[in-house]
Amino acid sequence: MTTTYPFDAESKDDELKSVGTPAVRIDGLEKISGAAEFVDDIDFGPGLLHAAIVESPHAFARILSIDTTAAEQAKGVVKVVTGKDFPYKFGMYMEDRYIFAQDHVRFAGEQVAGVIARSHREAVQAAALIEVDYEVLEPLLDPKEAFAEEADLIHPDLGDYTHVPWFFPKADTNIAHWRKIRKGDTEKAFAEADFVLEDTYRVPRYAHCAIEPHVTVSKLDHADRLTVWTASQSPHTQRHLFAEALAPLGFTHKDVRVITPYIGGGFGGKAGVSMEIMGAAMATLVKGRPVKVRWTREQEFYNTYQRQGVIAELKVGVMNDGTITAVQHRLYWDAGAYVEYGANVVNAAGLSATGPYRVPNITNDSLCMYTNLPPGGPYRGFGYSEFHFGLESHMDRIAEAIGMDAVEFRRKNAIVEGDELSYGAHMNPSGLIEAIDKTAAAIDWGVEETSDNPDTVIGKGMALFWKAPAMPPNASSASFLKFNEDGSINITVSGMELGQGYLTVMAQIASEVLTVPVDKIRVETPDTDRNPYEWQTVASHVTWSSGLAVQKAAIEAREKIFDVIHQVYGYEDDSLYLENETVRCKTDPEFVKPLREFVIDGIQTEEGTWRGGPIIASGKFMPEFTNANSDPETGQGGHPNVHYTVGATGVVLEIDKDTGRVWVRKAALAVDAGRAINPDLVKGQIVGGLVQGLATVLYEDMRFDEGGKMMNPNFTDYKIPTAFDIPDEIIPIIVEVPQPDGPFGARGVGEHTMIAAAPVIANAVYNALGTRIKSMPVTQEKIAMAFREQQT
Amino acid sequence: MEVEIKVNGEDWALSVAPADVLLDVLREQVGTKSPKIGCERGDCGSCTILMDGRTVRSCLVLAVEAERHEITTVEGISFEGLSPLQDVFLSSNAFQCGFCAPGIVLSATELLEQNPDPSRHDVQEALAGNLCRCTGYEPIIEAVLEAAKGGSA
Amino acid sequence: MIAKEFDYQRPATLEEATAILVAHPGETTRILAGGTDLVAWLRDDAVAPDLVVDIKDIPDLRDIRMEGDTLHLGSLTTFTDLIESDIVEEHAPLLIEMASTVASAGIRNRATMVGNICSAVPSCDAGPVLLALDTTVHLAGPGGARSVHIDDWFVGLRQTALTDDEVVTHVTIKLQEHGGAYVKLMRYAGEDLAQAAVGIVVYPDHDYRVAFGAVAPTPIRSARIEEALAGKPLDESLIAEVVGMVPDEISPITDMRATAEYRTHMCQVMLKRGLEAAVQRLAGIGPAYETRLI
Repeated sequence: MTTTYPFDAESKDDELKSVGTPAVRIDGLEKISGAAEFVDDIDFGPGLLHAAIVESPHAFARILSIDTTAAEQAKGVVKVVTGKDFPYKFGMYMEDRYIFAQDHVRFAGEQVAGVIARSHREAVQAAALIEVDYEVLEPLLDPKEAFAEEADLIHPDLGDYTHVPWFFPKADTNIAHWRKIRKGDTEKAFAEADFVLEDTYRVPRYAHCAIEPHVTVSKLDHADRLTVWTASQSPHTQRHLFAEALAPLGFTHKDVRVITPYIGGGFGGKAGVSMEIMGAAMATLVKGRPVKVRWTREQEFYNTYQRQGVIAELKVGVMNDGTITAVQHRLYWDAGAYVEYGANVVNAAGLSATGPYRVPNITNDSLCMYTNLPPGGPYRGFGYSEFHFGLESHMDRIAEAIGMDAVEFRRKNAIVEGDELSYGAHMNPSGLIEAIDKTAAAIDWGVEETSDNPDTVIGKGMALFWKAPAMPPNASSASFLKFNEDGSINITVSGMELGQGYLTVMAQIASEVLTVPVDKIRVETPDTDRNPYEWQTVASHVTWSSGLAVQKAAIEAREKIFDVIHQVYGYEDDSLYLENETVRCKTDPEFVKPLREFVIDGIQTEEGTWRGGPIIASGKFMPEFTNANSDPETGQGGHPNVHYTVGATGVVLEIDKDTGRVWVRKAALAVDAGRAINPDLVKGQIVGGLVQGLATVLYEDMRFDEGGKMMNPNFTDYKIPTAFDIPDEIIPIIVEVPQPDGPFGARGVGEHTMIAAAPVIANAVYNALGTRIKSMPVTQEKIAMAFREQQT
Repeated sequence: MEVEIKVNGEDWALSVAPADVLLDVLREQVGTKSPKIGCERGDCGSCTILMDGRTVRSCLVLAVEAERHEITTVEGISFEGLSPLQDVFLSSNAFQCGFCAPGIVLSATELLEQNPDPSRHDVQEALAGNLCRCTGYEPIIEAVLEAAKGGSA
Repeated sequence: MIAKEFDYQRPATLEEATAILVAHPGETTRILAGGTDLVAWLRDDAVAPDLVVDIKDIPDLRDIRMEGDTLHLGSLTTFTDLIESDIVEEHAPLLIEMASTVASAGIRNRATMVGNICSAVPSCDAGPVLLALDTTVHLAGPGGARSVHIDDWFVGLRQTALTDDEVVTHVTIKLQEHGGAYVKLMRYAGEDLAQAAVGIVVYPDHDYRVAFGAVAPTPIRSARIEEALAGKPLDESLIAEVVGMVPDEISPITDMRATAEYRTHMCQVMLKRGLEAAVQRLAGIGPAYETRLI
């Protein structure tokens, strides 16, 4: 049984002109010339104010008093704010945060007060004068300790929090959400299995490290309109959360406007609402003056969303022929002090923690644990990278234990179209087998390679990945499209250009339908007053969802074009088609009407009157087959995910046995894009995502001291890849098994490319040295020391 | 303090405090926005500018130190159209979010001036101080090598 | 953005510079050369001087020249100057091997080698190499010029023999035929501070110099290892002997960058590979300078 999709997107494989071509990015020129404007580049004139934030040095403490007297009197200071000024809760999926701390701080770095001053320097100087008295409490830094029955409560009022219906918080515990999956009879399956492997894998926290730090400028004008310019992936979601949180001040949605120019990378870190709400709130107290809050690199590390850590307890049962019969995956997520967004990462992982395999018996427990570390949240991969580390390490170990080739084992169990998913719905069409085969071939799987260097050895690894967009079941996209006098097009959407090439892909989709070349289409970055709704640019869903909205708008525009032609010339609509920016007619080969001649001014009839007028159109898309209503105890009954994107990653690496240093000599990654609207941009996602993923396994690592304070909030000690830290060769492989409801068959690929990077390295290290590392990162130090121990 | 700095060929007389870093002065007083604020401690390279033809981190230079020096930003090398290097960056879709692009364009420009026939390792060396989180560097390295093959930058 | 304000002076002569330093003694004054450490520390609020004295207008401090068999490097010589100097390439390629591991091009264009040993962090790259090269540091102060052997330069964590009223003018290195190696442990191939480092120089007749970085409060030279090697051709048993001495010669710490155990292990690996490369280079057959040995 397969899912039926209500919207059958048009796809004319053989005739595509724009879709499927490596079009030059429509934002390329701005970016290489220095013209691209980011929030911090916008001039706000001499009235601009700057804010500095006072932060808690403690991971868990009660605020006894805050003395702002000296700061208020300091030079240049316009306003000092504390939690008392904004006793309002907010949150994406669960309202568990305040704009500024109220009576408690729950992580080191949490905002306690803000100083608004005429210069940045004066704001920072005055912020240092604010004195906060704390009663320091013992922080909980480990999710399993937080789970313990006797653990102190980080949120004693959890039972009262407002949250989405698919979360199941446990009052009077630190469990903010518990996603359970119960399918089949796991116990029985383990008892009957020929081989069962059980182990624990650990994954630490990671930072997004967009090179542009978070920055926001907010202004409440004298007519009470609040405008927020922000580096965000989520303009409409931000407007919604600002309007809701600040509703007690009298704001409605129409009073709040969010403008998002280009952003310097997101990776999930700029989704939802984090520091931006401080700016929006502070601006309400200095009417008429724009207020800038720009995060330092340090704040970017410790007070935005972080990728959550996890302790993964995994048990898998197989038969001797290699059939997986049962998976039990218990994930303790270190979700941090506030889980308003991160709890949905936990949810998504829980739904899919079997990986891309056909598994008849499943017990998944994905536990969202409050801890006194910075708030967890979305990060490229959304929980999947984390659980794939253990899962795909485990698959290699099982294959070896039962004497089966690791690729053959995966191939045998790989999920295919129609297979039942853990929550009872069915798998979408997928090119997983093709991806496995092509990846294995690219790295010459099965062919042993030896090094000429006596100090080094060579290893190979493979790992699979899958991921579905994690969204509310009714997350939607919309678009407006209008023609200009010369036949060029402006499209407004509210997806964000994060660098992935979204604007270009939207232009290509419209170009395909309307035959207007991509370089005659401008797609604008969002302004919530002008651009139509988009939920957020996350979940690798905008090519699919926003792409469908743009495709529908283009189809609507085409219908309007044909309608005008029909009115004036009498040709039936279904005889008309577009070609090279003209309208043509199948029944009258002589008929040619260039679009630029009528898309604004219309067409004059024989009697001298006019028909038509500006061609404008809109499109929207909401998946109408999803629902999040499932049994809280079993997870069965709903259809929470729209579809999965799948693929495989393989590496050949060389390791220095003495130093542990790893060189990735070759990496291959195959991802099923359904349809690559722009293969150049898909390859960009493959290479960029893979390098980001390799960094998480080879050296990146957030480190916290015993008090919960981050020790390496800078690029000196949180190492992200440089131009030297890339594989010698990357082989991007695009698989195209169309998504039936995708625009021209496309589905998202952005996050997926980093998901299997960690286990593929762990597997290749094992292959090279016989050393199995079960905690990330797999650093050169860990490899060298483990290998050394193994030798003695 | 009063300082005279030449920025993209234009003379500026600026009033700055000794503690003002050049990056902030370029952005706020000169209005040159292509050098970006990324880490403010020399780690990321987003604020890269050319000072007397060589790349420096404008976050690690006090504005007063720039007196009588010539500053070039990416705006300054685009006056007469794109450089051949920029052309290749554009046509090969080398960048994604573009935040690191101004710094990388300048680092690669310096490289090709110093070494018109760089090896892959030379390109990596020249770019190693400019962090890019999006691209995995590969398309950027390829583009610089291609630009070098096509002649001078 | 640097929050704390300070005064700034840019003396035109050495005399003017020392006069300013004499008039503003103590921790409240900082000398500014390349600024890649100082400006970062100012921004981090790690130092808070009242006065910054920029010495870049003082003439003749950026010279690179040979005086007989002695290499003279002015205190404003940047790491890029070293890398691009034909004189250094011909006479002391070890300095280029070291300089090329320092940060990244945009930093090396500003950062000075003397600034590196004046900051004197335990991981300073120039430390082990200048120790192994028996460098002399030359200073100017109110009482005139004096010189300090590099062995006496590093006196404690971030502390040097430089007094508050002195400026380093240059360093000199007496050169003779040698092979060298600078081996640096980093967390990845890109820019990183040394987690541990070894600087080695081998002269004809089996005369060795060995120094370590980032495994003690200061860069350190190992007289015991040098003595054990002295006069002996390098072979496997000699390497094993000195590698075995490493744990007693260094005092690494465990921090977020590396554990003491890994630092010790790696110093042993680096000493072995560094000695082999230096001896081969002396013989003209070794891996080219700047070839990464780990």
